[in-house]
Amino acid sequence: MAIFIHSSDKDYTYTELIESVNQCQSYRPMCQTKDLCNYFVNFIVALVSNSSLILVDADSGQNDLPELDFNQVNTLVTIEKTNFTTVDELINAVLNSTSKVTIFTSGTTGQPKKVVHTINTLTRSVRKGNRYKDQIWAYAYNPTHMAGLQVFFQIFANQGTLVDVFNMSRDVVYQMIDKFSITHISATPTFYRLLLPFERIHESVIRITLGGEKSDSHLYESIQQIFPNAKINNVYASTEAGSLFAAKDDCFKIPKDILNQFLVKDDELLIHKSFLGESSSFIFDNDFYHSGDLIEWVNKEEGVFRFKSRRNELINVGGYKVNPAEVEDIINSLDGVQQSIVYGRSNSILGNIVVAEVQLTLESMLTDIDIRQQLIGKLQDFKIPRKIKIVKSLELTKTGKLKR
Amino acid sequence: MEQTILTIINSIRIAQELTPVTELHTTDNLREDLELTSFDLAELTVRIEDKYGIDIFEDGLVNTIGEIYNKLQQ
Repeated sequence: MAIFIHSSDKDYTYTELIESVNQCQSYRPMCQTKDLCNYFVNFIVALVSNSSLILVDADSGQNDLPELDFNQVNTLVTIEKTNFTTVDELINAVLNSTSKVTIFTSGTTGQPKKVVHTINTLTRSVRKGNRYKDQIWAYAYNPTHMAGLQVFFQIFANQGTLVDVFNMSRDVVYQMIDKFSITHISATPTFYRLLLPFERIHESVIRITLGGEKSDSHLYESIQQIFPNAKINNVYASTEAGSLFAAKDDCFKIPKDILNQFLVKDDELLIHKSFLGESSSFIFDNDFYHSGDLIEWVNKEEGVFRFKSRRNELINVGGYKVNPAEVEDIINSLDGVQQSIVYGRSNSILGNIVVAEVQLTLESMLTDIDIRQQLIGKLQDFKIPRKIKIVKSLELTKTGKLKR
Repeated sequence: MEQTILTIINSIRIAQELTPVTELHTTDNLREDLELTSFDLAELTVRIEDKYGIDIFEDGLVNTIGEIYNKLQQ
């Protein structure tokens, strides 16, 4: 029988999933667990009984999400028992659920924002069919956030297998890829950077998806070297709207039929409200939502654009605007650099100065001065970090992105 | 302290591919004698702040090495 989840040395089949779901007489509307199987059983039980859910991280507390009542965590609510006999019946019930799912933004830019989604908006980009069968996915996202949900639905809708690799070390990820012959990986650019440098090829992977942060061509080349059989694509998604468009390389294409539902104002992408979940924190500008994502058109008529950065991430250095993602790209392209994070630090002379934390590759002997000297000529002077700290590892957010 | 300031000034000069100076004088002007730009001065404040916990530019401009010494001795 097909495996649903490989997690911490435990295999959990679709048959076991049906049995667990059919046995349930209750579910937890606000479930908090570190066990991926438990988490998804509760999630699926809620959906098939058309009950609502609030998704919270395994390590969140009252201080992280003050608007929730954490006394309600793991409280059971009675539901009617189900009697599914086939996996297809179960999948259909999940995909046609009328449940409402409340999720929170990761709060990288302040207080986490609450957004309520229907299964319809969460599964908008799910593709079903024979060609999507038998896929084995490395599950590299947090299951309580948008990207993790999107990947879950894509796998589950096609009875695929999910291998839990979220927050696992580089060596363990590679072991899992080989042990389970993983075919698909969807993760943040940070996750892939942690897999560098290239040591040997892994042939089983045929599709790589990047999302959540800006990525760069240097990273694509390195990923392609490790996974030579993989097609690489990029997905534009947000907690507010879910997955919107995918693309090859670093450009995105807005399909022609929905092109008029997107606007660009002062380089910022505006999304029509029909694409969004519900949230009291949304402010609309003539029915359009300011995404905070700064883009540049590559071909405006065809709807092709490139992601530049987040609006609130630009660093103002004495009146000059510095895009940290651009500086990270250049630093990451230097020999001996594994990954980096660039941010502003307040300063009495210039308002802010640019600083960086850099994680080197294992054998690298680079110093902060070497890096700065190598950046001269590659970046304008005001963009070069004035302080570079060499660190052993970089801190990640709950959704696996680098923390600025 | 004077040796530390010399090390900091030289680390900024080296990163900008300028030759290090061997000694500092209290009359040395940060911009004219030591060739520091406003970006370099911003870096200087951050490095001194990290070392001594004092923002030397917090309440106005500092022009010479002697003025830095004074701020740090206050």
